[in-house]
Amino acid sequence: MNGYNFAYLDEQTKRMIRRGLLKAVAIPGYQVPFGGREMPMPYGWGTGGVQLTASILGADDILKVIDQGADDTTNAVSIRHFFQRVAGVETTTATIAADVIQTRHRIPETPLRSGQILVFQVPIPEPLRFIEPSEQETRLMHALEEYGVMHVKLYEDIARYGHIATTYAYPVKVDDRYVMDPSPIPKFDNPKLNDSPALMLFGAGREKRLYAIPPYTRVESLDFEDHPFEIQSWEENCALCGSDHSYLDEVITDDKGGRMFVCSDTDYCQTRRGEVA
Amino acid sequence: MYVAVKGGEQAIANAHRWLADRRRGDRQRPELEVAQIGDQLRLAVDRVMSEASLYDPELAALAFKQASGDLTEAVFLLRAYRTTLPRLAISEPLNTGDMRLERRISATYKDIPGGQILGPTYDYTHRLLDFLQLAGADVPPAEVREDVSEAEPAPGILDLLDDEGLVEREIDDGAEPADITRDPPDYPMDRAARLQMLARGDEGYLLALGYSTQRGYGRNHPFAGEIRLGQVEVEIHVDEWDETICVGEIALSECQMINQFGGTREAAPKFTRGYGLAFGHNERKTMAMALVDRALRAEELGEPVIGPAQQAEFVLAHADSVDASGFVSHLKLPHYVDFQSELDLLRRLRREHARNSSPDLGESLDRPSTEEETSARKSGQGKHDRESGVHGL
Amino acid sequence: MENRMTTEKDTSLDLAAWPALADPIHDSQRCFRQVLGALSEPGKRQTLTPFQGSPPHLGVALWGTLLALCDLETRVWIGADLDSASLRQALTFHTGARLVDDPALADFALLTPESFDPATPFAMGSDIYPDRSTTLLVVVETLVNQLGWRLSGPGIAESRDLNIGDSAGCQALMKRLGANRASFPCGIDAIFGAGDQLAAIPRSTRIAGGPSRPTAATEVN
Repeated sequence: MNGYNFAYLDEQTKRMIRRGLLKAVAIPGYQVPFGGREMPMPYGWGTGGVQLTASILGADDILKVIDQGADDTTNAVSIRHFFQRVAGVETTTATIAADVIQTRHRIPETPLRSGQILVFQVPIPEPLRFIEPSEQETRLMHALEEYGVMHVKLYEDIARYGHIATTYAYPVKVDDRYVMDPSPIPKFDNPKLNDSPALMLFGAGREKRLYAIPPYTRVESLDFEDHPFEIQSWEENCALCGSDHSYLDEVITDDKGGRMFVCSDTDYCQTRRGEVA
Repeated sequence: MYVAVKGGEQAIANAHRWLADRRRGDRQRPELEVAQIGDQLRLAVDRVMSEASLYDPELAALAFKQASGDLTEAVFLLRAYRTTLPRLAISEPLNTGDMRLERRISATYKDIPGGQILGPTYDYTHRLLDFLQLAGADVPPAEVREDVSEAEPAPGILDLLDDEGLVEREIDDGAEPADITRDPPDYPMDRAARLQMLARGDEGYLLALGYSTQRGYGRNHPFAGEIRLGQVEVEIHVDEWDETICVGEIALSECQMINQFGGTREAAPKFTRGYGLAFGHNERKTMAMALVDRALRAEELGEPVIGPAQQAEFVLAHADSVDASGFVSHLKLPHYVDFQSELDLLRRLRREHARNSSPDLGESLDRPSTEEETSARKSGQGKHDRESGVHGL
Repeated sequence: MENRMTTEKDTSLDLAAWPALADPIHDSQRCFRQVLGALSEPGKRQTLTPFQGSPPHLGVALWGTLLALCDLETRVWIGADLDSASLRQALTFHTGARLVDDPALADFALLTPESFDPATPFAMGSDIYPDRSTTLLVVVETLVNQLGWRLSGPGIAESRDLNIGDSAGCQALMKRLGANRASFPCGIDAIFGAGDQLAAIPRSTRIAGGPSRPTAATEVN
């Protein structure tokens, strides 16, 4: 694109982010502050993920962008188009073919492989934010490993509802040290964070934080002995591919209560249908 | 048969075409020129430059036009452009004392050296709609004073107080200030960084916060010591020549508030200061900024922190309109997945509620179920001692 | 603002030995991805061949790492046995990095196991900002995934063996890196380079054994 550098960001900004990423993988789950830049899309729409992707992306990489698990949601389309325009990279919808996958709110159903990098867009990187709004305080809590409040919060849910009422952005503990917000993925996806062969990078543009989970890293979802962590399940199967093990979106089909459930991961669903057919 | 939504790319392209069409409006009328915006809507242009922190009247006017007059969108456009610019030099500190004044007023003294200059202000206009402008009446040119260059010097009002020792002295400690455009915020923030955040903070937000201090949420007894507007020279030091040269002039607004004094047994009481500075003609913004700057000094000056405007992290973290509008508007993005997970939980809770609230049990959602109470008791976890039963802590 | 003009005089002779990245944008990106891979999967070797030629003493991999990561905002400390006027000139000329004498101020420290002194006060970060630490760039003779130290932790499926040599310097350095676990999250990360080979040990890595330990070597890559 005329007038702009490869992948939009100037080289100095990329280096700053790259140095931050090296710290992030060295201290898994720790939020590294970085000099986030304004991007030509609004904060909250994936600027953190976009900056990370722009900093790691090479001309030979194949990029996949998903939002809500789908390649064809408007924001995924928009971000994919952005990188086609500013980096000229090849893009794909096939999880298996991608080197770099930028995602908002999902981890693909297809197991990731070694060498792949999953870049998450993160709105609020601080898992303790809704318990303690002050940044000064939460940084201190991380420093002192003072995570009791998080369990108090989860337990208050149990006392009130009989369940932990956190269903997405469910907090995890990384390598037995940092409590981390996995971004607003459904807790259904939390187990995929654990011991994954792929590298997971998280970027929060507005909050100017980045963090990482290296491959093969222990990631546990917080829970209690008498209320162990569990993931969502559906009585229905995917109405399109019949999957009984993927995360389903509910689709309203009429105004009389009719609804159906379909895979949120469009690539997974289409691939299965291809196989089934 | 249900088919997942397709054609997002086409929809986006169509939306952009429609937007451009709406922006152009009725083709029977001449298209608005960027230069006209710079001339005739200059206060909007100044606000865009200020909050985008880029002094470029032409591009600010373009942004305003491109955004169809949406100031927040225009600020964002210019800010996103700004971030791609290389940094060629760092200017010497601006000297607002040498400002070529267009306006200069003080609310603290009736007469001041250099005089009160009302300048091009809306202050004393009666807010009556001027229907003549609807008819496109000619506007006679303002008369220009011929003796402007010989105007008598206009020393800063606060410097006069300072000479008497009545106001706290501000000393340049020579430290390199933080750069909020490159470094992530690190709370607590020093005053130099705070002022930078305020300078590009949203005017409406600062106005509301400043106002709140006047109404008692962290009152700081302000007087508008001096407000000045005008042109200031920008100088850079060229190492190769070991010389400082002027690279141009920019329009600035500056407000210096005089606030109630502090004092200790060791130090005699003095007036304190609040400071506001903005690009262009941005008087309201600088006044609000000065109030908030002073409020944020509460801790430094040993005052109780009781009002929202005094809470630095709260004030600063939410001041930026690009941040705020981005995150508020992101709620428009699809959240099917998170919503589905909430739906799933809610349905489950309601099923359990219906089961448990059958008449013979009489339980409600507001109380833990019998089962939960038992399990909590069993594992010996009181409300304040739950860590014992916790995984992953 | 730093000014590269001032460093340009008299450097033509020395600079010839220190190649630049032929394609700064894409070569930097490739180098970075290798370094990212190295720190993400501790002990796993990466091959960096960003340019023809061989910069004196450092090896292609570490020189490429420096070129890819350093700029005006980076401070570099150079250990005595690698220090030379030509390296200083080349590094400043190619990257604009600021050279520092105080290791506690360094973002990167360039050294060899032989010159490594465990008492050197490299930055380890703080509990609140553990990222404000020095990353060691260590020039080694040997860098192989066989009988040596046994690494485990994040980035390693089970365990991985890495040998950087068995000199007293290597032993002292690995001992220092092993001590990272006790100060975690504070600590120092290390990137090793031997010729075009690169591997890393971040502070999250658990280190056991040493070159002389009796356990049989296992290749876990």
